[in-house]
Amino acid sequence: MSDKTPDVAKRIADELASCGVKLVASLPDNWLMGVIKTLETDQRFVHVPVNREESAIGLCSGAYMGAMGSAALMGASGFMTVIYAITKINYTYEIPLFLMLTLRGAGGDHHKHHISNGLYLKPVLDAINMPYQVIDDPDDIGLISRSYHHTRTFSRPMVILFTRDLLRGKTGGH
Amino acid sequence: MKYLDAFRTLAKHRRDEIVVTSAGNSGQAWWAATRDTEATFYLDASMSLSTMFSSGLALARPELKIWAFMGDGAFCMNPGMLMVERQMNLPNLTHILVSNRVYGATSNAGLPNYKDNDYAAIARSMGLERVFEFSEPGALERDFPAVTGGNSKGHTFVVLEVEPFSDAEQKLEQPPFDGPELKFRFGRHIEKRTDCDIFGYRL
Repeated sequence: MSDKTPDVAKRIADELASCGVKLVASLPDNWLMGVIKTLETDQRFVHVPVNREESAIGLCSGAYMGAMGSAALMGASGFMTVIYAITKINYTYEIPLFLMLTLRGAGGDHHKHHISNGLYLKPVLDAINMPYQVIDDPDDIGLISRSYHHTRTFSRPMVILFTRDLLRGKTGGH
Repeated sequence: MKYLDAFRTLAKHRRDEIVVTSAGNSGQAWWAATRDTEATFYLDASMSLSTMFSSGLALARPELKIWAFMGDGAFCMNPGMLMVERQMNLPNLTHILVSNRVYGATSNAGLPNYKDNDYAAIARSMGLERVFEFSEPGALERDFPAVTGGNSKGHTFVVLEVEPFSDAEQKLEQPPFDGPELKFRFGRHIEKRTDCDIFGYRL
């Protein structure tokens, strides 16, 4: 982890708080651990580690129906398991959902087992007409707010894709 | 215990609880028992997620009591949900597992290991403390109000052992709502019951 990543995690937390996010449901991805550790110790949030990614979809959707802001945080692989839940709950009922994922399988990801995500993550998002925003630079973290508010206008989910360079630094490890 | 009889008993003892139904037959049964158009979210085709949805709602609105139905077919797809529920331990949430030992929504197709699944034991093994089981109509009528009526200190898990829907019951009307209509009916009801603003503008 580079010296920059704690600052990135704090800026992501600040951005989420500025949107009114209270509940954060997460499953880990190594790239996300700095963000998760920051959020779980930040008193502005209720952090709920979940058993599988679909549970995060359910939790955040229910929180919306109680007027609580929320975000689901997961790896790209986990997201690939939740298409049914999202299309059934969030598309059928038009319930907003804000997701933050890792852009696994892209350049700089050294793990061969994420090749599938490099090949299929964006095509899957396109296939279900889900808008996404890639954030690669700390100066673009403000796009989190814009995207979060878009889910409320759009009444459907939207995804943020964090790159390895953002989360681990350009010289960071795996 | 007959599925519909059990639901009529619950409906009789319901006070102001918010209800979330599950994939399976619970939406049909609850609609038949109540015709509730406002205070129930019919979360059909949400395999295994009705109690997670309800947990988010219960966390957001601690002033409301939530009953969340879940079929045992849905439960089998995601039993680890109980780990999350136990961790959250929301006192205003009652998870009502409707055990008919089949996949009710798909013509009573067989459920894996249906003879031996002990849902109450599974719940206790994950640390849940308020676990209750009902298989007789008399016991449900007599004891259910005490299980859900007070101010509990934590999350409640109730197992209802019921018979699968008959062929005639399978033809019961589905709750007749398009998704967005249901969202707004339910959401406006929540707004009226609380001081919250779900949609960005209150009516």
